[in-house]
Amino acid sequence: MAKIVVLGAGVSGHTAVSYLKKELSNKHEIVVVSPNSNYQWIPSNIWIGVGRMKAKQTVFPLAPLYKKKGITYIQAKGTAFYPEGDNEINKGYVLAEYVLGGKKGQTIKIDYDYLINATGPKLNFGATEGLMPGTNKTVSVCTYDHAQHAWKDLEALITRMKNGEHVKILIGTGHAKATCQGAAFEYILNVEHELNRYKVRDKAEITWISNEYELGDFGMDGMTLKVGGKKMTGQDLAEMLFEDRGIRWIKRAGVYKIEDGVVHYETLEGEYKTEKFDFGMLIPAFSGHGFKAYDKNGGDITEKLFKGFMIVDADYTKKPYKEWTVQDWPETYQNPSYKNIFAPGIAFAPPHTISKPRTSKNGTAIFPAPPRTGMPSGISAKVVVDNVIELIKNGENAKLHKGSMGNMGAACVASSGFGLGKGSAVTMTVNPIVPDYQKYPETGRNLNDTIGDMGLAGHWVKLALHYMFIYKAKMKPFWWLIPE
Amino acid sequence: MAQKITKTQRFMMKNWIVQFFRFLYLNTKILFVVAKGHGGTRN
Repeated sequence: MAKIVVLGAGVSGHTAVSYLKKELSNKHEIVVVSPNSNYQWIPSNIWIGVGRMKAKQTVFPLAPLYKKKGITYIQAKGTAFYPEGDNEINKGYVLAEYVLGGKKGQTIKIDYDYLINATGPKLNFGATEGLMPGTNKTVSVCTYDHAQHAWKDLEALITRMKNGEHVKILIGTGHAKATCQGAAFEYILNVEHELNRYKVRDKAEITWISNEYELGDFGMDGMTLKVGGKKMTGQDLAEMLFEDRGIRWIKRAGVYKIEDGVVHYETLEGEYKTEKFDFGMLIPAFSGHGFKAYDKNGGDITEKLFKGFMIVDADYTKKPYKEWTVQDWPETYQNPSYKNIFAPGIAFAPPHTISKPRTSKNGTAIFPAPPRTGMPSGISAKVVVDNVIELIKNGENAKLHKGSMGNMGAACVASSGFGLGKGSAVTMTVNPIVPDYQKYPETGRNLNDTIGDMGLAGHWVKLALHYMFIYKAKMKPFWWLIPE
Repeated sequence: MAQKITKTQRFMMKNWIVQFFRFLYLNTKILFVVAKGHGGTRN
């Protein structure tokens, strides 16, 4: 019998829990530790943020589902790791703090045989001065709660526009090294779509601001796609969409400060500029949670487990961009020091970015961090579950499963407007996520698998994915037939 | 200078019949790309 503890119940953590329950017999114990009471389908936050979907349509409570499935659920947040145990507990454990109810603030030691750290990112709003959602005319769509507030503010702005006021809308990245450009890209297109629907588009100047070197980088060093049988770059695609919708753009911008309706940013050329706005949605930097780790005697061993995010089987040797290879990326998501600890999804420390690192003339790093959200999170969680099961069954003779982002396909359906008849989306598939220039010397990716499409069908796909993935997350009959 | 979306492209992007077949194609493509497997990259 083994006890598997999963930290986090987001896309990665919940996927891991679902497969563990499906694959393992009831003699094994599965424990989920998460500070969140709900599961949320994050990609649909965009639609909450423009008032086209209610938060309740994208979330469901975790406790009843886990109870029904016989999974132990502890609503607490992990604070420290003790992979060797201590004087009292002779096995690895996690120190967690209850976040709700009578036990709020109390700590608990949760021991494990296998630990899956799927804690995702910390939304590091504090890394940019003045970027707290709800202040300085900025909002966020990173959580359903944030997205609800975003819609409230946008709705108020639309009312002002209906009364004849001209406004400025600014959407993009709120930090020089932010990632998740895709979410901001979706939001700006959806906001533009909604302003048309409310017949106030002519009252708004909409601006995109981003740390990307060129539009369409998306933290993936850009991409070459086949669109309608012709080759096109991500830059061409993004510029075409923005041009078509009258959206102006500011690129190569490292946002470092927000004041009331004013964003301050530095460009790669080393200039310091400002941009005014009445409504801003700027994606914050992502960071690790600042976990600490201790050995059996209480000695600090944080550097054995964390490099901001959790250390796994990646090659973390510092080397120049030209020497980066796809082999640097992790395959098994196993911590090299403690073989019973894994970190799928955003929780693992990437070896480096995917986009080319660039610094301004003042030495400020301005480039996107690598994305690991969505499909890579789900797929890496499945790989980790396969590995945990392999270790349970075969111990030291286990042959670990591999799923490198350099040998993994993904799809991104970026909504550009809601509506069964009038909606649209940009659908992109890429394979592999991390470009492999040895295998595909021309573009780093398989061009037969790397395609782009624009239109109403993409919206239907995104809507179908919304319902399918919530069905899957609820572990309803045959949920496992739906791929990550 | 950014490329423009042509009138024909715009028509195709909104046409229900065309988009129904694109819907089938995109679902198949996504399924193929995502579900065809993954693996390592090192020898």
